[in-house]
Amino acid sequence: MEDIDELPYTEFIKKLMDPEKIFDKPEPLKGIRVLDMTYVVLGPAAVDYLAEFGAEVIFFEDRDGDTMRYVTPFAYLYKNMSPGLQEQNHNKYWVGMDVRHPKAKELFLELVKKSDVVVENLAPGRMAEWGLSYRELKEVNPKLIYLSLSGFGHWGPWAGRTSYDAIAQSQGGLSAITGYPERGPIKSGVWIADWIGGLMGAIAVMAALNYRERTGEGQFIDYLQTENVIRWLDWTWLYVFKTGKDRKRAGNRDLAICPSDMFTCKDGWIAIAAFKEEEFYGLCKAMGRLDLFEKYKDPVERLKEENAVRLLKEIAEWAKTKTVKEIDELGAKYGFAASPILDVQDAYYSEHYRERKAIFEYEDPLYGDMVEPCYPPRMSETPSRIKWGARPIGFDNEYVFTKVLGLTIEEVRKLEEEGVLFKWDESKPMTCPPPDWDGERGRFFP
Amino acid sequence: MEEDKIVGVIPVKDYAHWAYKETNPDEIYKKPEALDDMVVIDISYGNFAGLFCSSILAEMGAEVIRIEPPEGDIARKMTPYGIMIKDTGLAYIVEGRNKYHITLNIESEEGREIFKRLVKKADVLIETYKPGYMDSLNIGYRDLSKENPGLIYAAIYTYGQFGHECTKNANKPDYDITVQARGVIMSITGEPELDPEVPKEYKKPLKHGNWMGWYAGGAWAALGILIAMFYKRKTGKGQFIDASPPEGLMAMSNYVIQFFHETGTKMIRAGNFDYAVFPYTYVKAKDGYVFMSGFTDPNWEGVTNIMNRPDLRERFPTIKDRLTPENQPIIQHEIEKFTQNYTSDELLEMCNKYNADKTKPGTVVTGRLDSPKEVLEREHWKLRKTFVKLNDPYYGELLIQNSSFKSMSRTPGRIKWACRPVGADNNMIYLRYLGFGNKKLEELKEKGVI
Repeated sequence: MEDIDELPYTEFIKKLMDPEKIFDKPEPLKGIRVLDMTYVVLGPAAVDYLAEFGAEVIFFEDRDGDTMRYVTPFAYLYKNMSPGLQEQNHNKYWVGMDVRHPKAKELFLELVKKSDVVVENLAPGRMAEWGLSYRELKEVNPKLIYLSLSGFGHWGPWAGRTSYDAIAQSQGGLSAITGYPERGPIKSGVWIADWIGGLMGAIAVMAALNYRERTGEGQFIDYLQTENVIRWLDWTWLYVFKTGKDRKRAGNRDLAICPSDMFTCKDGWIAIAAFKEEEFYGLCKAMGRLDLFEKYKDPVERLKEENAVRLLKEIAEWAKTKTVKEIDELGAKYGFAASPILDVQDAYYSEHYRERKAIFEYEDPLYGDMVEPCYPPRMSETPSRIKWGARPIGFDNEYVFTKVLGLTIEEVRKLEEEGVLFKWDESKPMTCPPPDWDGERGRFFP
Repeated sequence: MEEDKIVGVIPVKDYAHWAYKETNPDEIYKKPEALDDMVVIDISYGNFAGLFCSSILAEMGAEVIRIEPPEGDIARKMTPYGIMIKDTGLAYIVEGRNKYHITLNIESEEGREIFKRLVKKADVLIETYKPGYMDSLNIGYRDLSKENPGLIYAAIYTYGQFGHECTKNANKPDYDITVQARGVIMSITGEPELDPEVPKEYKKPLKHGNWMGWYAGGAWAALGILIAMFYKRKTGKGQFIDASPPEGLMAMSNYVIQFFHETGTKMIRAGNFDYAVFPYTYVKAKDGYVFMSGFTDPNWEGVTNIMNRPDLRERFPTIKDRLTPENQPIIQHEIEKFTQNYTSDELLEMCNKYNADKTKPGTVVTGRLDSPKEVLEREHWKLRKTFVKLNDPYYGELLIQNSSFKSMSRTPGRIKWACRPVGADNNMIYLRYLGFGNKKLEELKEKGVI
């Protein structure tokens, strides 16, 4: 450490993080086995966050396979693979097995004994119908942590109701506050309630693992994705309670920070914010309008409707005369927040994101060179990493049942013949290996 | 509680009762806390990513010490329309939960010495300053980790702590709007590019209504902290966490990066449409907006049956037909022509009735877009204690969202208090951690250190 101590700050940090050496650093969740009984996005994402930090994940699919094999932009498939399935599945082992088969259930229970975490996002009560809820599983493994993700939870008047991402966005109040005041509500451009619900679910599992490390005790976690949206709506609820008014849509304007908005420049859009005194001063100086600084110096006064509208109008007039790049650079010079709106192409080619391995390049054994986001945060001792992506149905049956469960390969073949275990369906390309697959590439065993 | 209020539509009734018993919100206070052996110092400033991060840890029992400068954190002034309750705005009151609030001036030499002594006793430090600021005061990771090798140091900042853009932009502060701007999702959120009925001035990027960028940044940092803590329990080692909130959003931007890599195609703003699953959209009803879905062929048949529009089924027979940017506005407007004649309750009833008829194909899911006021009225959230009402000794009557970790069976998250005034816990924290009595505190106060 001594030799890097003299480096300037960002170089010191880069040395500390050493993104080129990710694979030489330990995985923090090594030895944690997760049985992944999830589907679509909410559940698989929660488990994926743990998988990129080193958990050993066994992902189960029924004969049709995960819904996301069929949900893909414009019904496009890449070498038989749905991009919609790739986004939330990394480093997992893929098993084709339906626990409704009695013998499969038996195998599942054996795996539960050897696992640390079970995650599912089936309709609440479904696992109970199969005799596989936490109530039953804790009898075979008392240290088990069981996370269930759903829209409305396992009890209550709405318990068991169907939930999708968009239901959580709308019933949680997010849609009502997203969009322009004079227009209708707007859905997020992504399945945001799935992603953030999964993220908080993973946090709950990590808290439970920390607790288990201290006490040896496992637990059941009922995590509600709609309630999670409610939790994330910052000052909304206290505002409604105190004023009796509904929270209105405000476009890109931030009602609690002023200025904070998106503005139209000569050649595109720019986001700008400046709340602290020195930042607001910097912005006014960059605009050549110190009169605005004098007039609207008090940040709380600035937030009052009339003041905010006037000030934002002044900034909008100024922004119109500038390019995005000019304002972006003025932000760095004068110390206010300014940024263009990055799209996928900007992010994909960003030197910054590549250097940080936030955009991660790897060679997948089945699909070749891949470029995908790798989950944050960046960590100096135990960084996240991508080893491989989504795989065909049942691609790792052999590996899982020999390595983890200790069956022989003959026994695995017999289970496949009996239909207890299965692989992809040749009549459905989205469940299959790439068309040019040689029958060996990417297989871990035998 | 009455039977149907516990069971809902859960297929195994005694299971729902069991689940209620395991996660009954009225029993939370009797149960242990997952993280009550952890000490966290949150010295974030003007930043709700930092505040949400420490809220998550505080809800699950960590002792969180918030350090503010003597005049208070400017985040206390970030509040809608400038509404304040005494010294503090609404947003801060929501995220002050379970935290101890002390003041300390780290720009003074004596303040820094005190800060170092506190950090020596902590597991976690959270900061949100510009990169290099803490380091320039000799209280960055390289100094603090020497005295406390088990320290988990989480730095939250838009451009991260190293990299091309970080070097270029390190003088910019971190805000939700710029986080959203850099997280890719904003570029594809907003009114649909290809809908001819949308006026041109609305065809531009749109942020999420809430502080999605800051909350995502805070949650990702909390995940990293708990992973690092798990590692520390096994090895004793701490580490540095570089949490860039836009990277948190980008990592959740659906398939856009994979799809771009594979095809070179950029996804465009789809509005309430979805180019991977449709219909899966918001449409106008008589009394507001509703969500409507019918993606697979049988479910699409269901939608067209309910609307009595077999012609639409013939016109857009396959999933592929329904996923094109050109067809989606047409389908959307046709559905709206139907739905705007009915209230959201009528539409729900229609769909439920259709779904219950097993002779007809498909399932059609609908749901009302609740306004915040309506959310607060829903019985489900009342019974699940999604919100808590508190009568705070200083801030008065409050209603805030509960911990969303409250339904963990063994270690549920909880709210003990909402917020504290600036410096309200100076006496207690400085006494407990450093043995400072009243005289010492007075002296520090006179010097402007606290």
